[in-house]
Amino acid sequence: MRCCRKLLRSLLFGVVLSIWLASLAAQAGEIEIHNAQLSLGEEGYVLAADFRIEFNARLEEAVAKGVILYFVTDFELTRPRWYWLDDKVVSRTQTFRLSYHALTRQYRLSTGALHQSFETLDEALRMLARLRNWGVLDKVSLKSDETYLASLRMRLDLSQMPKTFQVTAIANRDWNLASDWARWSFVPGDVKSGVAENK
Amino acid sequence: MKYLVIAAASFGAILLFLLASASANTALFASHYPWLLGLNAVVALSLLGLVAWQVRALWRDHRAKVFGSRLKLRLMLMFGLMAVLPGVLVYAVSVQFVTKSIETWFDVRVEKALESGLNLGRSALDYLLADLSDKGHAMALELGDHPEPQRRVLLNRLREQTSVQEAALFTASGVLLASSSAAVAALLPSMPSPAQLRQARNAHGYSVIEGEGGNELLLRVLVPVSQLGLSSEPRILQLTQPVPAGLAQNAESVQAVYRDYQELSLGREGLTRIYAMTLTLTVLLALFTAFAVAFVLARRLSAPLSILAEGTQAVAAGDFTPRQAIYSRDELGILTQSFNQMTRQLDDARRETERHRAEVESARAYLESILANLSAGVLVFDRRFLLRTVNEGALTILGDDFSGLLVEPVDAWPRQQILGRAIRDAFAEHGAQEWQTQIELDHPGGLPQTLLLRGTQLPEGSSGGSVVVFDDVTRLIAAQRSAAWGEVARRLAHEIKNPLTPIQLSAERLQMKLSEKVSGADAEMLSRSTQTIINQVQAMKRMVDDFSDYARMPAPVLAAVDLNALVGEVLGLYETSCAKIDVALAADLPPVWGDATQLRQIIHNLLRNAEDAQENTDTPRIGIATTQADGLAELAITDCGPGFPAEIIGRVFEPYVTTKARGTGLGLAIVKKIVDEHHGRISISNRQPLGAEVSIRLPLAPASIPPSTAASTET
Repeated sequence: MRCCRKLLRSLLFGVVLSIWLASLAAQAGEIEIHNAQLSLGEEGYVLAADFRIEFNARLEEAVAKGVILYFVTDFELTRPRWYWLDDKVVSRTQTFRLSYHALTRQYRLSTGALHQSFETLDEALRMLARLRNWGVLDKVSLKSDETYLASLRMRLDLSQMPKTFQVTAIANRDWNLASDWARWSFVPGDVKSGVAENK
Repeated sequence: MKYLVIAAASFGAILLFLLASASANTALFASHYPWLLGLNAVVALSLLGLVAWQVRALWRDHRAKVFGSRLKLRLMLMFGLMAVLPGVLVYAVSVQFVTKSIETWFDVRVEKALESGLNLGRSALDYLLADLSDKGHAMALELGDHPEPQRRVLLNRLREQTSVQEAALFTASGVLLASSSAAVAALLPSMPSPAQLRQARNAHGYSVIEGEGGNELLLRVLVPVSQLGLSSEPRILQLTQPVPAGLAQNAESVQAVYRDYQELSLGREGLTRIYAMTLTLTVLLALFTAFAVAFVLARRLSAPLSILAEGTQAVAAGDFTPRQAIYSRDELGILTQSFNQMTRQLDDARRETERHRAEVESARAYLESILANLSAGVLVFDRRFLLRTVNEGALTILGDDFSGLLVEPVDAWPRQQILGRAIRDAFAEHGAQEWQTQIELDHPGGLPQTLLLRGTQLPEGSSGGSVVVFDDVTRLIAAQRSAAWGEVARRLAHEIKNPLTPIQLSAERLQMKLSEKVSGADAEMLSRSTQTIINQVQAMKRMVDDFSDYARMPAPVLAAVDLNALVGEVLGLYETSCAKIDVALAADLPPVWGDATQLRQIIHNLLRNAEDAQENTDTPRIGIATTQADGLAELAITDCGPGFPAEIIGRVFEPYVTTKARGTGLGLAIVKKIVDEHHGRISISNRQPLGAEVSIRLPLAPASIPPSTAASTET
């Protein structure tokens, strides 16, 4: 009886899976992007943005149990071309790892070799939500009179997590955390012109 | 179809292998796991679609009652069941096993133990931290009691006393005042963050365990140092002490295992699903592949049967072309080959039969044409004396189309009763023997017909029955009769003519010699008697000449003759006749093939007959007409006399048959003879209410011979 139910569930799963695969591209965002801004810094163009991350109980539980969550921020800058596909000027990706150190009871946010510890999850999330000074571009790579299209999004990357979570995420919306692409046009000459709101 | 199944199956197998590899804990494809699952599901679904399509095709065949479809369906179901039952069994056991075994991994006690281990580590660290904190507070009190300048020395001493790794004194803003370290190499102590300093300013101080990655754990304690002067800036003492390496390592490993365990525990459902789905997909792929293969196999197995069925139907419909042979060495191949051989033999046999039938047909047609062209009449009866066959000759002789007589018993014939009765009686009398008889059929108003019938029984082998052959011997008898009469006439003429001349000469001599010797009444009597003798002898001579004419009539000299012109010529002799003659000649009558002299005699004879027949009639009328009928020229002469008496109408063409007081009776006989020699026909009949009609039919001249005028033939 039980295995029967399992079989049924698995079958159901297959159906859900295909639907999920179909809807992968058009995922409902539970991360919102505010004030995405590309500005000219000392080194080059830097990106700043605020995210509002709806962190649900299931993810909190997972983090509290020591599971590492991978948040990936994707940035793309394209130059629209009417005669051909858009020219992709740059495409950058940054991965943040959010984890809990049970021994020291600290939350840890790391990117690359750098990491920061926080006493509470909220602090860590606040840090994650504030993206500042992400150098994405050299100064010389943009022409000041052109109009570019900047795109930014953040998502919880399940593909770096164990397979079990990937499979769980197929059927569970709690695990699908992502923002839509926030797009705004950007003219390098006009620094003010780069604020995007994304709901 | 076969290749489609093979392709789908191999693709599914590859995907399954990948899925199984990814299900094991390898990094390969791990990140694309959902895609793999999805692809597998898609392949499984397409296989399902394939199977559904196959089953639908089979079902449609089954519904349409295509031969072999039931066997195919059954074979496919059997093969499918053979694949499904073990597959489902293994699948059920596996799923049960996997889910159960996964559940057993997660034991409450293990979790508790891990948690306890983690807590143990935490407690140990907490203890160390509390210890370090106590030391810090003690040192802070000690330091607070001393003025600023002495503190550097004191710090070092206190550090050594408490055996702390590193001690440092900061201002509240984080400026290093003094430091002491057990490590010789360390020049600068690790600096606290401003937030930590801020927190340290309260009375309790601040303590933290810092894990700088890896296994190194650092205990850091910040304690405010109370100043002597209240106004002065507070100082902050920092003690740092690394956690002992062994402890740190163990605690870390406990934490790592705990994390893994929790990860697994959280992903337990997912894990179960992975296994269940992998198994499910495997089973589905295998099952659907098995079904698809079963379909192909079933079709291959039943293909010879379908070919045989087609062949049988074709043979039933008469098509003997050989079927596509299946060259396999098993019994089905042999069967199809034997079937082909059989159809070939059947074909040969049928062709042979056809040939035979055609031969028989042609033989029959040959016989039938002979029968049809036979002038004799043939009647064939079956056992019960039902008329089965009648030939053209019989129809012509009897002048009857036999409609209504076929398939009727002879006794019940509505017409031809004399014939029927004669046949019946003859068979009854003679039984199985051959018989011959002659009957006479009366035709009211025409000549009676004499038939010679010969009958015999057909052999029993050919379904029995009997056959009657008959000939119209009327003309034969008439010819025999007229030949006999001719002979008689010739002899009689010869015998009579010889004494006539002496008789006449004797009479003339008697008159000549005795006329001078007698006188008076004797002389007159002599003269009258001898004159009578001479006259009668001459009459007798003429009569004998007539006979001899009749007997020795010359053969006609046939030529194309204009019958109308002849009629006109002869009518010239009858201009003074007392009878009124109605002439109706066909204007476009073609020339007839005959002897002009003899034809003229015919017309003359007939006209004279017609005139003689009306001697006692007040208003004699003669009609003469020519017409063209049935490819013959017809001359009809009618009168209004008393007609032919019934007792002589059958014999009017015989010599010496006459109704006239004076007449040799040779007129019609001569006419008949001439007509016969012209291959014509003559018929006589009585007209109603009175009168007689004689009509003669003469053949036309061949078209290639130009008609000559009557005048030219006369010469």
